[in-house]
Amino acid sequence: MTRLDPVLLEILGNKFASVTEEMCLTLQRTGRTLYVKETADFACALAGADGRFFAYPRSIGVSGFVGLECLPSIEAVIALQGALEPGDVILTNDPYRSTGLATHLPDLHMIEPYFHNGEIIAYGWCFVHCSDVGGRVASSISPLNTEIFQEGLRIPPVKLIRKGQMSNEVRLFLDANSRTPEANMGDINAMLASLATGRKRVAQMLGQHDPQELSSAQGALMDYAAGKAEAVLRSIPEGKYSFSDYLDDDAASRLPVRVAVTIEIADGKIHLDFTGTDPQVATAMNIPSCGRPHAWLTLRMLALVLTLDPSAPLNAGLLRPLSINAPLGSLVNPEEPAATGVRHAAAIRVNDILNGAFALALPDVMPAAASGTVIPIVVSEPNATGGRTVQVVEPLIGGTGARKGHDGVDGRDSGISNLANNPVETVEAELGVEVLHYGLRPDSGGAGEWRGGCGMELSFRILTEGSNVLARGMERLLFRPWGQSGGQPGKPGSLVINEGHPREHRLGKIDVLEVSAGDVVTFRTPGAGGWGNPFERAPEAVLADIEAGFVTPECARRDYGLVLCNGVFDAEATAALREAASPKSATVFGPERDAWDSIFAPGLMDQLNAGLLALPLSRRQSQRREILETVLADLPSSFPRSPANDTQRKTAIHRLETWLSSL
Amino acid sequence: MQNTTPRTAGRLRIGIDVGGTFTDFVMADTQTGKVTLYKEPSTPDDPSRALIAGLEKFLQREDMSPADVGGLMHGTTIGLNAIIQRKGARIGLVVTKGFRDILEIARCRMPSSFDLHADKEVPLVPRSHVIEIDARFDDDGKLTRNPGAEELDRVAKALAALDIDAAALMLVNGYTDPQAEGRIADALSDQLPDLSISSAALIWPEIREYERALVACLNAYIQPLMGSYFTRLTAGLERIGVDAPLLVTASNGGSLSVTSAVDRPVETILSGPASGVMAAVRQASQSGMQDIITFDMGGTSSDMAVATDGTAGMATRTDIGGLPLALPVVDVNAIGAGGGSIIWADAQGVLKVGPQSAGAHPGPVSYGRGGTEPAVTDCYIACGFINPASFGGGSMPLDGPAAGAALESVANRIGMRGSDTAARIAEGALSVASAGMAGSLFRTMAERGLDPRNFVLLPFGGAGPTHANLLAEEIGIERILVPQAAGAYCAMGAAGADLRRDFVRSLRVELTEDSAAAAETAFETLQKDGNAWLDAELPDISERRAERSADMRYAGQAYELRVEIEAKANLATYAEAFHVEHERIYGFRDSAAMIEIGTIRLAMIGAGQPLSTSAPSVTGDPTQDSRDIYVNGAWREAAVYNRAGLAVGAKLEGPAIVEQPETTTVILPGWGARVDPHGNLIIERTPA
Repeated sequence: MTRLDPVLLEILGNKFASVTEEMCLTLQRTGRTLYVKETADFACALAGADGRFFAYPRSIGVSGFVGLECLPSIEAVIALQGALEPGDVILTNDPYRSTGLATHLPDLHMIEPYFHNGEIIAYGWCFVHCSDVGGRVASSISPLNTEIFQEGLRIPPVKLIRKGQMSNEVRLFLDANSRTPEANMGDINAMLASLATGRKRVAQMLGQHDPQELSSAQGALMDYAAGKAEAVLRSIPEGKYSFSDYLDDDAASRLPVRVAVTIEIADGKIHLDFTGTDPQVATAMNIPSCGRPHAWLTLRMLALVLTLDPSAPLNAGLLRPLSINAPLGSLVNPEEPAATGVRHAAAIRVNDILNGAFALALPDVMPAAASGTVIPIVVSEPNATGGRTVQVVEPLIGGTGARKGHDGVDGRDSGISNLANNPVETVEAELGVEVLHYGLRPDSGGAGEWRGGCGMELSFRILTEGSNVLARGMERLLFRPWGQSGGQPGKPGSLVINEGHPREHRLGKIDVLEVSAGDVVTFRTPGAGGWGNPFERAPEAVLADIEAGFVTPECARRDYGLVLCNGVFDAEATAALREAASPKSATVFGPERDAWDSIFAPGLMDQLNAGLLALPLSRRQSQRREILETVLADLPSSFPRSPANDTQRKTAIHRLETWLSSL
Repeated sequence: MQNTTPRTAGRLRIGIDVGGTFTDFVMADTQTGKVTLYKEPSTPDDPSRALIAGLEKFLQREDMSPADVGGLMHGTTIGLNAIIQRKGARIGLVVTKGFRDILEIARCRMPSSFDLHADKEVPLVPRSHVIEIDARFDDDGKLTRNPGAEELDRVAKALAALDIDAAALMLVNGYTDPQAEGRIADALSDQLPDLSISSAALIWPEIREYERALVACLNAYIQPLMGSYFTRLTAGLERIGVDAPLLVTASNGGSLSVTSAVDRPVETILSGPASGVMAAVRQASQSGMQDIITFDMGGTSSDMAVATDGTAGMATRTDIGGLPLALPVVDVNAIGAGGGSIIWADAQGVLKVGPQSAGAHPGPVSYGRGGTEPAVTDCYIACGFINPASFGGGSMPLDGPAAGAALESVANRIGMRGSDTAARIAEGALSVASAGMAGSLFRTMAERGLDPRNFVLLPFGGAGPTHANLLAEEIGIERILVPQAAGAYCAMGAAGADLRRDFVRSLRVELTEDSAAAAETAFETLQKDGNAWLDAELPDISERRAERSADMRYAGQAYELRVEIEAKANLATYAEAFHVEHERIYGFRDSAAMIEIGTIRLAMIGAGQPLSTSAPSVTGDPTQDSRDIYVNGAWREAAVYNRAGLAVGAKLEGPAIVEQPETTTVILPGWGARVDPHGNLIIERTPA
């Protein structure tokens, strides 16, 4: 029986959600590492007998993991170590052995069965991004890892705690395989405390409600959420919507990485088909979904449902109307032993393509692309004790895309993680840097009837000799955040050393950059996409942007057709300029993507990826590289920043087609 | 003028709280211990009007003369409302070159991760009114960019070109040398005699540039409004012949002189709720209860606060209309529904309470002011908890049948059939509201590692005493204290407030023999500043004390702990105080690790006169009546008592209702109540 009294359902829904938030607060209070205290890279939830979360915190912790599944890990443990007993706690961090519960190795996941009269009434779950699980580099994450074996200790689902006692064997392995064993054990203790909080509070609920009622509420809450999601899906025009986008490259080569999706909406159901996405990469950007409707592949759909119906409860029922096809061996469903450490870079782009596909169905609801990048800028410098101080300067993000009726938000983006920044004064107190500029980037937001959010600029002087700058996750230096409904893309990001000085040096993506004392490092993040024809933007809005400094007069004239005469708005000249402008030929994607698509058209890329996936795993990457490199050989070396001429294009397309027919 | 009864001039202390609907007055007679209440409809266009008129009427009613008033304590929400509605002064901000976007970027977070349509808060100062100056310090306090005459001139001209009433200055690392930043502010002021320019570092020298800039901006933003309000108010008091000192309550639970409040209005923003909590803490301590949870339920929402060992919890990061406030304030958390929260059913037929509120206008259906959707207050009526005829002491009769009809239509939408649907849906909605409040309350306690079941619940506000027993039952709390003045509690808190001001200094040093001595010197400076401030506020204050604390951590840790520091501390005492606190919270100490001191804090307190409330003299028969109330799915007969008629020691058996003009207290079946020697109603679970 899942039909529950509508009053009781609301009460129990509230209570269960509150228990998960209490678990999170306990974890945050007792945890000690940066990931717990500052960036809140953790979460807690309650799962039912099916291992899916029927209650998930709304206001604290990582928001996107509501779709994770515990059951495969539970079954794996039972198969090898016997039935679960009161006081047992399962630990795992391995994406493959946990069938996608963990998504990269630094995330430690725990599951505890909560018993009532000898029966499991619910599971408590929590995870923490811990400081280090060994592997090739400190903190265990590097985009350049090629196999999961380089990323640290793999912990298959295992009983860390048996009947309340920690397993010494497991602990010995944990301690021996981390650069920070004490910090990890602190996190593990905080996780255990949060699971204990959940256990106590569920027991307290059992004192107030009939156990049968609590069990059926779990199903009823999921049904309730599923009903909400279906109602939202029914409000979306039925049809098939395809969208694709690129990561600038895979961090190890110059070749862009394609992600593609076709969304089919019919009868209150939705199917996501990622066919057309590139094969898995030989770097650490793969998303280990195990072919399931994984959190990283479905986040935007949750956001859409919760935007259109904020009263929907947050639980796995929201995903019930959803099915998925993520081709095995692709970036979004890699085969073991693909590395997965920086999967969030690809997840941001997956968010973008889902957004783009939904926008085809709901152009007036969905925003244009957000800046699509999260760059934790880190400085490492020698310190007085002979070691190195490693510290985040700022987690640099961009803005949000514009949508109908609203400009994007400047310098903020909650897309995939909603991290707080660091006060410049605490950074300067802890590192030898002087921050010269931390601000918004004028003219970076995509022009449109509604303007995209501005990207950011961070410029700092290095004061300590022997310092390094690290910046993982730089993206959108090439392919811009796209606009929508005629809106223009945002400006791409960039990195410059000593800008405007004789020693100026423009760089692309960096992994570890050695710098000298006195060097000035300047990062710029992309602006977000605009919405609608910029020539239809209200002149008052453009003028307000000029007054505030978000748009310069030059850009106003070029992108918005707005004319100032001696600093004063010239209505006549503006009308004339706007009138005379031919319909914009530029697409919403920007010149680089247009140049790329002029050769690597979506249809051809779909064919290419189908052909590659038919090859054995070991051949796909090398074959792809060979094909793309030979096609690119006929094009300007700066392609797609500079477009190909007609001859070059014809030759290149011919080559590509030849390859495709031979695959 | 001599009266027939002997009087002492200045024996009355009067607390005043200006709310949106009513201005509440509490009069405490320090001679007799008698406490009386009065309410006057507020005059939002100029709140001082209702205050003066109400005070005059109240004195007349109580047969007191203006000369009897010995002290006035006053809380106001003028500043808060101006900030929330963004209706403050036009201000400018001067910041270090490169940081023009400090308010736009804020701390980079969006209010929601899931809402694709979320927007950020509106900055207090538009970007066009933020001016950069080539001036900054390094983190050691060296003025590495010292603006010359030309630069100061340029900035002053830029400020002059803006159409603004006030300005703030924030230099990067200014917290390291507040006096030096103050001198730059003065240099700008010299060129702009008509513009007040406040230095962020002088107001609040704590590390974190955004939060500090915001403190200065908020201050400038509400200063002109508050200044003119207090001018009108003091003129009004003079007119009616009240010449007692006027104090203004502050967000930290203390109070300030009018001069201080006009200088630093930012310290008064959250004074209303803070006063209520302080009153609760004092009242409970008087009755021997040290660990309490306050529950303030008003029209739009309900708030809670926690006190342990007789001390209210403080917060140093509060949200004010979407903006973070870094000043220490009494930690008050919104936990859910208020009397005006709307009862509705969603498309799936699930019953919801709030977050929309009918507020005071149109208000619940029973107010008869055009509200069509039932609210929580309508549920109290449908369940028989409040008597529609005697609401507000009979001054505002409510429409019970209309409330019932509106509830029935919601019952219909969730498929509820049969008899008593209005009462049944009302009880269901009250359970939903209680579960929501309990959830928020449990979370607030989990954050602090406390178990709410060991606490006493202390309700106030118009609906607090009505809902408190339901909430206590839901949480598992065993005891409730309902004070006499529950319906005008923030005014009560104001009447008993201490003088208090907080001082900070960010040091950020490793703890050594030398730095411990330096911290002591810094504390002494703060103490000197504190004493000088108290002397200026009320020179004859009898009892003064300083509370000292420091934010500390082990080197390399990602978080700091706030540790109380005793007077005349040295290296060993600093270290031990921190180790002990770390051990208490995390279960271990690291004696070998280097310790760092971040910010040191000193609260300077001048104690107000203790306000001991005595039980009121009994007037009239306690038992008025009886009526049926709907609880646990059935109608039960409940005795109805008149609070004014309950003598000390009186014992009541639930189900029962206790009525007073400002509020109604509900005592559920299975609970009993008694009146303690201070006139409080103590509700406890009846032993099974």
